[in-house]
Amino acid sequence: MHQFAHMADVHLGANRHGKMAELEIGAFARAMDICITRKVDFIVISGDLFHVGVPSDLNTVRQAVAKMREVTEHGIPIYAIYGSHDYTPTSTSIIDVIDSAGLLTKIVRPQVIDGTLKLECVEDARTGAKLVGISARRMGLEREYYDMLDREELERLDGFKIFAFHSGIDELKPEYLSRMDSIPISLFPKGFDYYAGGHVHQHSEHHLPGYDRIVFPGPLFAGYGRDFEFTAKGERRGFYIVSFDQTVTDVEFVETVLVESVYKEYNLTGFNSSRAQDTLAESFSRLDVDGKIVVLKIRGELSGGKTSDIDFVHLQNLLYARGAVDVHLGRRGLTSADYAAITVAGEDVTVIEERLFKENVGTVHTNITELQGDSGVKLSLELLNVLKEDKNPAENKKEYEARMIEDAFGVLQLKGAFEK
Amino acid sequence: MEELEIIGQIIAGKVAHILIREKTDTKIELGNLLVAESRNGSLILQVHNLFYGSQVSREVLELTAGLELEGRGGSLEFFDESLRNYVLAEARAVALVSGNRVTIPKALPDFFSSVRHVINEDLQFMDVPENTAYLGKVRSGSNVLDVPVRLNAQDLFTHHVLIPATTGRGKSNLVKVLLWSVVNDDNLGVLVLDPHDEYYGGRGKELGLSNHPDAKDKIRYYSLAAPAGTNTLVINLKSIMPWHIEELFNLTDPQSEALYGYYFAHKKDKQWIEAIFKDERPENVAPMTAAVLQRKFKTALGLDVNEQGDLICYNRAFSATSGESTLSEMIAALESGMIVVVDTSRLSDKAELLIGSLVINEILTKYQRYKQETGSSGVSKLEDKPVVSIVIEEAPRVLGADVLSQGGDTTYSTVAREGRKFKIGLVAITQLTSVIPTTVLANLNTKIIFGNEMASERNAIISSAAQDLKEDYATIGSLDKGEAIVSSIFTKFAIPIQVPLFDDYVAEYPSRDTPEDKHDIHLKPNRRVV
Repeated sequence: MHQFAHMADVHLGANRHGKMAELEIGAFARAMDICITRKVDFIVISGDLFHVGVPSDLNTVRQAVAKMREVTEHGIPIYAIYGSHDYTPTSTSIIDVIDSAGLLTKIVRPQVIDGTLKLECVEDARTGAKLVGISARRMGLEREYYDMLDREELERLDGFKIFAFHSGIDELKPEYLSRMDSIPISLFPKGFDYYAGGHVHQHSEHHLPGYDRIVFPGPLFAGYGRDFEFTAKGERRGFYIVSFDQTVTDVEFVETVLVESVYKEYNLTGFNSSRAQDTLAESFSRLDVDGKIVVLKIRGELSGGKTSDIDFVHLQNLLYARGAVDVHLGRRGLTSADYAAITVAGEDVTVIEERLFKENVGTVHTNITELQGDSGVKLSLELLNVLKEDKNPAENKKEYEARMIEDAFGVLQLKGAFEK
Repeated sequence: MEELEIIGQIIAGKVAHILIREKTDTKIELGNLLVAESRNGSLILQVHNLFYGSQVSREVLELTAGLELEGRGGSLEFFDESLRNYVLAEARAVALVSGNRVTIPKALPDFFSSVRHVINEDLQFMDVPENTAYLGKVRSGSNVLDVPVRLNAQDLFTHHVLIPATTGRGKSNLVKVLLWSVVNDDNLGVLVLDPHDEYYGGRGKELGLSNHPDAKDKIRYYSLAAPAGTNTLVINLKSIMPWHIEELFNLTDPQSEALYGYYFAHKKDKQWIEAIFKDERPENVAPMTAAVLQRKFKTALGLDVNEQGDLICYNRAFSATSGESTLSEMIAALESGMIVVVDTSRLSDKAELLIGSLVINEILTKYQRYKQETGSSGVSKLEDKPVVSIVIEEAPRVLGADVLSQGGDTTYSTVAREGRKFKIGLVAITQLTSVIPTTVLANLNTKIIFGNEMASERNAIISSAAQDLKEDYATIGSLDKGEAIVSSIFTKFAIPIQVPLFDDYVAEYPSRDTPEDKHDIHLKPNRRVV
């Protein structure tokens, strides 16, 4: 009997500051320690180990690499694919660096022959398990890889086999992610013993005809506001330890989050801004938040005053003063009868960006179809994500600028177009 | 223009029964479209009856035949036979064409005017390229003219379509042709419940909608055996509400109350169907009632509990864990003008109807809301939404008089009655028109009538058609495979058509027009976004 660990969406570096950054790397360290203690034969990371492809916070990278080195020194190999976050369209990703250092093995071995994508499998030396993977790209653009994939060859592989991927699946998306880019399961090769998924931040196991065990572990900690909300509502965070011989015999979910969370909703309909402020302050003073992550959702329509009259910074500070580790205050659903405030606070940044692009893409007048509609939104988001990258401490301004231009041209497929 | 051959002359008759003498050596067929020119334009006549005429008395004819048959006639022949014996055709005037103006004739054609066969040019008014819904070509008797019959897809589908036909007359072929023709119509979304899995293709050599050059972008296919790139059909049980189930079964009052009992007890986690199988019985539900509900769900949806106590679905179309987004994705596809084909061939009747009901309920609710909401342009949001149509086979399952009398309105009958207000239509396919109530039939404003020999069915079709078809009773019985009559409020007259074979139609369809730079923007770096 063998065992492997399956984790994904670690998003190291998503939480940049203080205690939250500690908790984030702490969850990863805990997962690695459990793998050592439980003597798993290998670890599969199904994408988004890091929050960005080229992290600027090298302290997080240092701690993560140290932990991965500890694991590999215990003879536990780590196999990984790129996620949508730690993929970069042109430059070298941190995953490549760690792969080169021998601390993990990328299991995406693609070769395009006559327009068909062939994937070479990686065989785990100790267990003989065969691993194949497809990395993600931003905005679900990996779909074209799947369209080209030689499924039949993979289906003919014998032995215990794992297919790692980092994509939403049409048939398995939770309802709240129904608008997320995803891929139909029929594009996956059938008959693998285990489909090691990433990208969906909610742990789940599924069975579909021809695809007997499709598993998403969700994040080890949390990368986004919605992750914190779900955690606070009871969603468990962690990874899977999978036992197998000829096929999977057991799947166990192991938790990694050690900090408690509090979730509370407030409906302020009928309150004016002054009374709302007092009510919230009074309620916050009674919440047990010491040592906890606090997630608050504030909704309703104020009967008077502006939403901005409420001093949310002060209210948040009340909670920090009472020992809250972190406070996530969502007030997107709060409006005022007096003022039609446009508020986007509380949403994930990516959701806001996508929404704004969608609202404005129609104002771009072009006959280039790639810049119109959904494809225009996708391209814009991908470009934005590239341009968001911080300057690395090691590079000077000129190098940073050159990298930005190269990456942006890569996204726009204009590489080489302006060379002359 | 080349002189057109005169094939007959109007000699007598009355409205709808105009008598034409056929010219010798020409041939007038049942269903032929003929033209009589008049001062007001070209009058199009349709032949609905044929019989013999003779200047020789009946007694003489009988005697002459006897002499020939008994071998005593020698070389008997009629004097000026072509003048004395002939064929008479009975026709009705169906349209008066004057330039581009087409009206329903209000006067008889000129007495003794000559008639000729209709030619393509006479019917050019029917070829409206901006209309996308293609039905076939105009047929005059057995002669197919090169005049396409296209209707405005939005009008056609919102006002509902009935396709009455017995097996083997070509209704599936027509639906495939029709759907193919509207694939690129962004103003139309179509949900196709396909109990024979015959529309999409995608497996083997048989052609289907999957062969459309824009299938990838414009068609979504759901099946339990999904070919690569299409969707596996799986619907989460949380999507199902008690009112969906009430439509499926003829439930007693206690059974209905029990459904809602489970539903309200699990309103928060939405796991009320699981509760029925896991014996989490609300206090007010009797054990017997719970058992009956279990059995109904088991047989209709293939649900059961395994040894570990987990709810399982034998056919895997329903799941407690997967398929949460399936309905949303289907709705989103319809709202963006796509065709959604659901292969229900591996499901029970009830399961198929349930899936249809889930989607229709959802889209109807959304469209009702859009109608109330005002968009940025100051008009109802519904104005910007595509028409949505639902193709349902064996329509009496949901529109039959017995179904409606037992359980009242179904989602489908609601759509038939008031869907038009919300841009939602039905394409109802049936072998048994007569069991659909007249009140429902009256709302199905286009009927594409294939051959049918059953008298009761022909009568039901004729009595509910948009045009007066009572003279076509015999014609409907004699329609060959692929031949049909289109009777619609959107056509000036009932048009005889020949539906092309789908494979032939596809072979003639132009391949995708792909500009060289359409997918390679890097080839045109000098293009600017304005």
